[in-house]
Amino acid sequence: MRIQAVFEKNERVRHIGHLDIQRAVQRGLRRSGLPVGYSNGFNPHILVSFASALSTGACGQREIMDVTMAEEVSTEEFLLKMNQAMPPEMQLLEARQVDDRHPALTALLKAASYDLLIRDPELSRRLVPAIGPMMEQQTIMTLRKSKSGLKECDIKPMIYALQGKDQHLYATMALTERETCKPGMLLDALKKTAGIPEEENVRMLVVRTRLLGEDGEGRLVPLEKL
Amino acid sequence: MTDYNDRIEEMLEKVQKAPRYTGGEMNAQVKSWEEAPLHFAFCFPDTYEIGMSHLGMKILTGIINDQDWSLAERCFMPWIDMMELMKENQVPLFSLESRRPLKEFDVVGFTLMYEMSYSNVLAMLEMGGIPIMRDERGEEDPIVVAGGGCASNPEPMSPFIDAFMIGAGEEVILEVNRVILDRKTQGLSREECLKRLAHLHGVYVPAFYRAEYNEDGTLKSFEPVSPEFPARIEKRYVYDFDHTYFPTKFPVPYTDVVFDRITLEIMRGCTRGCRFCQAGMLYRPVRERSLETLVKQAEDLVASTGYEEISLSSLSSGDYSCLPELIRELMRRMKDKRVSISLPSLRIDSVLKESLEETQQVKKSSLTFAPEAGTQRLRDVINKGVTEEDLIEKVRDAFEGGWSSVKLYFMDGLPTETEADLDGIADLARKVVAEYFHVPKEKRAKGLRVTVSASTFVPKPFTPFQWAAQDTIPVINQKQEHLREVLKIKGVNFNWHAPNLSFLEACFSRGDRRMGEVLKRAYERGCKLDGWNDQFKFDEWMQAFADCEIDPAFYANRERKKDELLPWDFIDCGITKEFLWREKEKSDRAEVTRDCRQGCNGCGIQRYKGLCSYAEGKGKQHADTGSI
Repeated sequence: MRIQAVFEKNERVRHIGHLDIQRAVQRGLRRSGLPVGYSNGFNPHILVSFASALSTGACGQREIMDVTMAEEVSTEEFLLKMNQAMPPEMQLLEARQVDDRHPALTALLKAASYDLLIRDPELSRRLVPAIGPMMEQQTIMTLRKSKSGLKECDIKPMIYALQGKDQHLYATMALTERETCKPGMLLDALKKTAGIPEEENVRMLVVRTRLLGEDGEGRLVPLEKL
Repeated sequence: MTDYNDRIEEMLEKVQKAPRYTGGEMNAQVKSWEEAPLHFAFCFPDTYEIGMSHLGMKILTGIINDQDWSLAERCFMPWIDMMELMKENQVPLFSLESRRPLKEFDVVGFTLMYEMSYSNVLAMLEMGGIPIMRDERGEEDPIVVAGGGCASNPEPMSPFIDAFMIGAGEEVILEVNRVILDRKTQGLSREECLKRLAHLHGVYVPAFYRAEYNEDGTLKSFEPVSPEFPARIEKRYVYDFDHTYFPTKFPVPYTDVVFDRITLEIMRGCTRGCRFCQAGMLYRPVRERSLETLVKQAEDLVASTGYEEISLSSLSSGDYSCLPELIRELMRRMKDKRVSISLPSLRIDSVLKESLEETQQVKKSSLTFAPEAGTQRLRDVINKGVTEEDLIEKVRDAFEGGWSSVKLYFMDGLPTETEADLDGIADLARKVVAEYFHVPKEKRAKGLRVTVSASTFVPKPFTPFQWAAQDTIPVINQKQEHLREVLKIKGVNFNWHAPNLSFLEACFSRGDRRMGEVLKRAYERGCKLDGWNDQFKFDEWMQAFADCEIDPAFYANRERKKDELLPWDFIDCGITKEFLWREKEKSDRAEVTRDCRQGCNGCGIQRYKGLCSYAEGKGKQHADTGSI
């Protein structure tokens, strides 16, 4: 049996990298005393996986972990014990039991929604009106950092929804192993349209609000509902 | 959160390793600022990764936070990038928990673990908005206190610290806090507060003491300014070590720190009496925690931290009286929880070895041995009770047990050291290599690695070598060159360190008040984070000595006479100066002193009834528990 749980990574711990978050969850599972499953082998580790790595510096409102249990555990018990065992900065919000044959989270993940806060109100007043013109372009070319250096790519097909209000940008963008539009790439493109020089630093707080998968009809739905 | 919060958030986006400054770890205690009347900033004068590995900080912050009238928040030395940003953005050094500047606390306490962190104390005070010099602090400023191993010679830091706590801090820290709380609630003046602190047992307030010097630079007199203050400061002890406070929770860092595991303090003190070892002299007598207490502490900590590993901590864990029983019991209870126990490498008996192999809990990393010196003569001089046969036997056991990697620790520059002693190091290394090849090929693990490390000897106060001269830098360089030559042995790696840092350590460890001037000057010249190789600026330090017209050799390379008044003589650390001199004379004759467990050597601790279980006349109940 597996348990999938939705958890938060709040602002205080947003600078903790993914590997350290993984370790913090593993230690939380150990503290909880819940009957978690361990891998076989010389150095057994807890069988826990995550839907997606969250970048250093970003908060997550509804991140998802998937834990293989050695014994049946109710979701109520799981939540209760884990929330005692996790710091206030990383509490669990909900959980469900899934069958062992349920596909892995990473296989189902298609997209993510973000709430992007532009720290400087002045800059947000220039960026938000640029959304319309940018989306009317045939292509939205921007640079993507990859292992082999910077590559130009078109992010238009990866932006599923984009709105702006006050200092916030609300975006839903592709997040799969094959194609991903990161918030930074979106910001770069928007800066270009708004005429803000590349080298000007625009401070932006990234909050990933939801992880999304696709239902039978190709609609984006929360991953934890699939 | 404070007014600085926005600026701090912006800075955190720019620094490397932001988690050094953000806190929020599991078990981090965040108490309400308004509800606790006394606010203590617990400062570790090095970076987060180092400080969070320090057991004393966990113990003392736990004790302070357990009182409903006080809270402790943590503060560490920022890295260079953060320091620059703080300066640029005019953000003062802040605590991890509530992000308040140091100057808003009532007490700012530093733990002094090693001399090369002293410059960081100055940096942290200045960044925290507190005058560096204690005599420049006013009624609005916090009381700055310090404790820890280096406080046993407080003089070099005495221009900067208002009050030192000497010895075990578990009890005295609350007594100090109460006085400082009185300052706040009764509106005591700073002067009155310091006076009251000076009357606490084990507390040294340098403002009330005067040092005078002879023309040759040696100390002429050291006295309290008024007879109301004690002429000698007696260090504090924990009598009932088995029941003394030990936290059931530790904050669990998110990021890698130096010791990222549970540390169980199984024992305090050591009976071996190695003459170079300050800790072995200072933390006397040996006191053990009972097996029951330790098993309970281990279980509590495993449950509250989720750590995967427990290590046993003490000066000589192999001497813990029921070590095999303790390890077996811990392994039995931890097996299902998949917690591994890291063992002290010495004293693994054969029965224990079998049970280790059964449970596969032993990672065959490298085994560490510390012969310290290359010949029996020199080991006798330093009273290191290890023989070559002992060592070779253990190494053989290890190689037969499947280890292939051995570390050997030595010191260079020990008193009376000759070339023969250096050659002895190479001989030992060669014999260790030979032992490996004596094990049949099919039985031994592949990839022999013998690592020989030599550190430069630093004479320390409260040891029999407190009168000794440290070798000069050119002499050490020559010796290291010789070692590099003779240690060109197949399968052997040699590690050494440039002696510059050890030379400065020697200046501070036996320094007097004037070393405080040098420290201040060096700090003004940009010295900080001296414990980090890439930050250590030896030339600036030497220039600071020159600016102050102080000769570092006076502190490091000068042999003291028997009757010289030493800057730390006014501290009573338990062991007497007579005992140390006796040991020094025996050392000159290469004569060993027995382990305390074989009979009392009369070190001075026997003066405290009921403190040492090996002292002559033990069994008498102690009337004075050392507390107030």
